[in-house]
Amino acid sequence: MTVTHDTDVAADSPVKATPGLTRKGALYGVLSALMVVFCVVPFILVIVISFGRKVEGAAWVWGFTFENYQRFFVGTLWPDEVTFLYLQQLGYSFYFAIIASVLAVLTALPFTLLLTRLKRSTQAVWLVIILSSLSMSEVFIVMGWDILLSNNSGLPKLFQVTGATQWLKDVGWFQTLRDIGLANPRNVKFKPSEFATILTMSYLVWPYAVILLYPALSRLDPSLSEAARTMGASRWTVTRTVTLPSIRLPLMGTTLLLFVFLLGSYVTISVFATPDKQTTAVAIYSNIRGSNLNAPFGSAQAVILLISASVCLYFGHLLNRKAEAR
Amino acid sequence: MRIGGHIFMALAALVLALPIVVVCGAALNGGRSMFFPPRDPTLARFGEFFVSEPVWTNALANSIIVAFGAATLAVLIAWPVAYLLWSSGSKLSKALAGLGSLPFAVPPIVIGVGLGFFWAFTGGLGHVWSGVISHAILLMALPLVTISIGLQSIDRSHLDAAATMGATEQIAFRTVVLPQTIPYTISGFFFVLVLSFNEFIVIFFVSASSYATVTLQIFNSLRNGYTPTMAVAAITFLVVSILVFAAVARWGDLPRLMGADQSKN
Amino acid sequence: MTDLILSGVSKMFGNTRAVEPTDLTFAKGQLTALLGPSGCGKTTLLRMIAGLENPTRCQIKLGDDDISDLPAHKRKFGMVFQSFALFPHYTVRENVAYSLIIEGLSKQTALEKAESLLANVQLNGFGDRGVGELSGGQRQRVASARALAQEPQVFLLDEPMSALDAKLREDMQVELRLLQQRLGITTIVVTHDQREAMTMADTIVVMSNGRVEQVAPPQEIYHRPTNAFVADFIGKANFFDGLYRSGGVMIGSQALEAPANFAPDSPVRLAIRPESACLATEPGQNRIPAVVGFVRDLGPVREYHLTTDIGPIIVEYAAGSGEQKLTAGDKTLVHLPAEALRIYPRTAA
Repeated sequence: MTVTHDTDVAADSPVKATPGLTRKGALYGVLSALMVVFCVVPFILVIVISFGRKVEGAAWVWGFTFENYQRFFVGTLWPDEVTFLYLQQLGYSFYFAIIASVLAVLTALPFTLLLTRLKRSTQAVWLVIILSSLSMSEVFIVMGWDILLSNNSGLPKLFQVTGATQWLKDVGWFQTLRDIGLANPRNVKFKPSEFATILTMSYLVWPYAVILLYPALSRLDPSLSEAARTMGASRWTVTRTVTLPSIRLPLMGTTLLLFVFLLGSYVTISVFATPDKQTTAVAIYSNIRGSNLNAPFGSAQAVILLISASVCLYFGHLLNRKAEAR
Repeated sequence: MRIGGHIFMALAALVLALPIVVVCGAALNGGRSMFFPPRDPTLARFGEFFVSEPVWTNALANSIIVAFGAATLAVLIAWPVAYLLWSSGSKLSKALAGLGSLPFAVPPIVIGVGLGFFWAFTGGLGHVWSGVISHAILLMALPLVTISIGLQSIDRSHLDAAATMGATEQIAFRTVVLPQTIPYTISGFFFVLVLSFNEFIVIFFVSASSYATVTLQIFNSLRNGYTPTMAVAAITFLVVSILVFAAVARWGDLPRLMGADQSKN
Repeated sequence: MTDLILSGVSKMFGNTRAVEPTDLTFAKGQLTALLGPSGCGKTTLLRMIAGLENPTRCQIKLGDDDISDLPAHKRKFGMVFQSFALFPHYTVRENVAYSLIIEGLSKQTALEKAESLLANVQLNGFGDRGVGELSGGQRQRVASARALAQEPQVFLLDEPMSALDAKLREDMQVELRLLQQRLGITTIVVTHDQREAMTMADTIVVMSNGRVEQVAPPQEIYHRPTNAFVADFIGKANFFDGLYRSGGVMIGSQALEAPANFAPDSPVRLAIRPESACLATEPGQNRIPAVVGFVRDLGPVREYHLTTDIGPIIVEYAAGSGEQKLTAGDKTLVHLPAEALRIYPRTAA
C-alpha cells in the first residue's frame, strides 16, 4: 500500500527490522554521546582540577589534594590562623542574589498580573518591549546605571541641583543616609553601595521574572475570582485567598531560577559593590583568568558555587513534588 | 483596569527604560567620555563602530558569527531531544533533556570555567568555532523549552489522521509536526540569538583573549572606562531586537509563544 | 425575599449593543430562565445582575433597595458558573465554607455549617476530598452548595448543565428545580437548552440579539409564541411564507384558511407544530396533497417528512395513535387545521 524510500533502504540493509528504527537509534546514540561529552565533561573537568595543585608561576598540575577546599573553608594557614574570607564571599553571593531575586519577583508579579488582563494586542506590544529589553546585556545595564548613579552627572547631581539634598539635610534624613553609606558629607552618594548593587541586579533579572511568570498568570481562570467576589470577597481578599495561593508554585520556581542565575553575577558586583563585599563569582574570575591565576583554587570555588546552586535547585524540586502530591 | 494599575505599569516602563535611554543618549557624545545628557552630540560614533575602527568591526563580525552559529546549532540539537521527549517520554529522552538543560540551569561562570578547561585540552581554545559550540551548549535549553511547548500544542489526532492516510513517522514529522511548530522553532532560534549577543562570561573563558565579541570587548574595556562607541553597540542590539520581536508579534501570536492560553481574550 | 426589578438595563461593548434597554421583573421565590442562542446577551444580562459587568445604563432594585451601584461583593448573589469555578487549592468543605469565613464566622463554625450544606446536596462525607477527585455532577452540587451557603437573596446560574453529559443533565435539571423549590429562593438560570428551560422554569425570558422576545410561563411560550423566532426556537415548527388575503394566506397558488388581522397582501409567515398537523384521506379545507419522503420512527413518536406544493412539512404522531402507517413514496393528504396555524408578520429579510 505505502511505498516510500524506506523500502529501498530495506533492500540494502542487512537488518531485518524496520530500517528507520536503527537509523533513528544510531542518531540518538550519537546525540547522547555528544551531549555527555559537551554537557558533562566540562563540569567533571572543573571538579577534577579542583583537586589539583598550583605550582610556580601561573601553572598547575594534576593531583589529589584537599588543600583548595580547606583553604576555602578555613584558610591556608589552618589551624594556626583561620580566615573565613572565602566563606564570607559565598555568603555575599547568597545575600545579594536572594534579595535581588525576591525584589524582582515581588515587583514583577503585580506588573504581570496587570499585563495578563489587557487585550491580546496590547499584551503583544508590552511583550515586545520586555523582550527587547533583554537585548541589553549586563554590561550595558551596568553602564547605564553607572552613569545614572554617578556623582557628577547622575541622580546625585539631580538631587543637588533640585534642592533635594538640602531638603534631606533639613529634615534630618541625610544623617541616616550617611550612616548606611549612601551619602558623603556633601551630597548623596549612590555608588558603590549595597543599594546600587541590589538595585542593578534586580533590574537585570526583572524582565526574566515577567517572562517566567507570564504563562502561569495568563492561565488564571477569571471565573475563580468572580466566584469569590459573588461570595463577598473584596478585591484584596480575592488576591489573598484565591489568586496568590494558586500561583505559589510558579512564584517560588521563578524566584529560585533567578536566584541561581544571580549567584554567578560578576560585572554588577565588581562595579557597584564595595571592596569588602565581594562575591565568590568575582573571586573565581580573578583566580582563573584574572590577577591571581590559581586555577585549582578557582575551580574549587566554582565547585562550591555549583553545589550550593544545585542544593537550592534540589530543594525547589522537592517542594514542587510535595505541592503536586497535595 | 483601574487608574492605579495603569500608573503602576507606566512607572515600571519608565524605570525599565531609564538606563537604556541613558546609554543610547550617551552614544551621541562628541568627546570620549560618557555624559548624559550628551555633550557635543554627533553621529560620528556610529561610523566608528560600523566602519572605521577595526576593533569594533571585527568584534561585530565575531558576535554575528557566534550568535547565528550557536542559534542554528542549538536548534538542531534541541529538536531531536524535544521530539524524542514528546513522542516517547522514555527515560533516555528525559535524561537527554536534563543534560541539555544542565548548563543553563547553573550560574554561567561555572560552565564558562569548565568549557575553558575543556577547550584547552581539546585544542579549541581561542578559536571562534569553539565559541559557537560553547554558546550552543549553554543556550540549547531555550529552544528545548520553546519547541517542547510547540510540540505539546500539537493535536495528537492529527498524527492519527495522517497515519490512517498512509504517512510513516518520518512523513508525518515532515508534513504535520514540523510546519505546526515553525513559530516555536523560530522563537527558540531568536532567543538563542539575542542571549548569545549578550553573553560574555563564557566567551571570556573560551576565547582566551585571542578574539572578542562586541559584548566581550566592552567587558574588557570596563577597566578603562566606557566610551560612547560602546553605546552604539547597545543601540544596535536594541534596535535589532525590537525589529525582530515586533516582526514575530506582527506575523505570529506572541502571547501564545510566550505561554499564554490561546482561548482567552 | 423580595422581587428583583430591572429598569432600562442595557450594555454596550464598544459599538455593539449586547443588551438592549430592558425592563424585567423577577418575582420572588420563582425560577426564571433566560433562554436564547449563543451571543443573544443572556449571560451578559446575568453578569450585570451579579455585579460582575457594569451596565452602560441601568437601575436594579431588590424590593425597594436600589442596588445599581453596589459592587459584586456587596450584592452577594450566589452564583454557579459554567465551569463551576471551584477553588483547586481548597478541599470541598473549604470551598463551601468560603463565603462564611469571609463573612467573619469562625473557621470551626463555618466548616461545620458547610458539612450540613453538603448533606443537603447529598454529598455527605465528601468534605475532605479535593476538587479534582469529583465527577461533573458532584462538582455542580458543590458549586450550588457553595453559592447557597451565604443564604443569598438571589441565586444565579450560568449554563449550569453545559459541562455535564446529556443523561446526567436531565437528572440534574430535576434535582436543581426541586432544591430551588424547597428553599423558595429567587433563581435565574441562563441556558440555551429549551428543554432545560421548559423543565425548570416558572417563567421563561426568550432573548435574541440582545432583545427580549417574550416573557411568559413555559406552556404559553410553547403554544402561543409571539413571533416567528420564538416559535422556531422553542419546540419544532413548520414554516411557510405567503401573502395575507382576507381570512386566509396565499402560498404560491395554495390558499389556506387562517383567521387574522392583517392588511391585504402583507407578507406573512405561517407556523404550525408537527403534532398539530395530521394526515388525511378525504380532501377538504386546508388539506393539501403530499408525498411521503421519509419516515422517522423514534419509538415514542413517529415523524412523517412530506413534500408538498407549499414546501416540506413534518407531521408527528405519538406512538399508539393508530394513524394509517405510510412509507416513503406514498401519496396522501396533509391537514393543517386553521386554529393551529399561527401567523406572524414577515420582514423583508
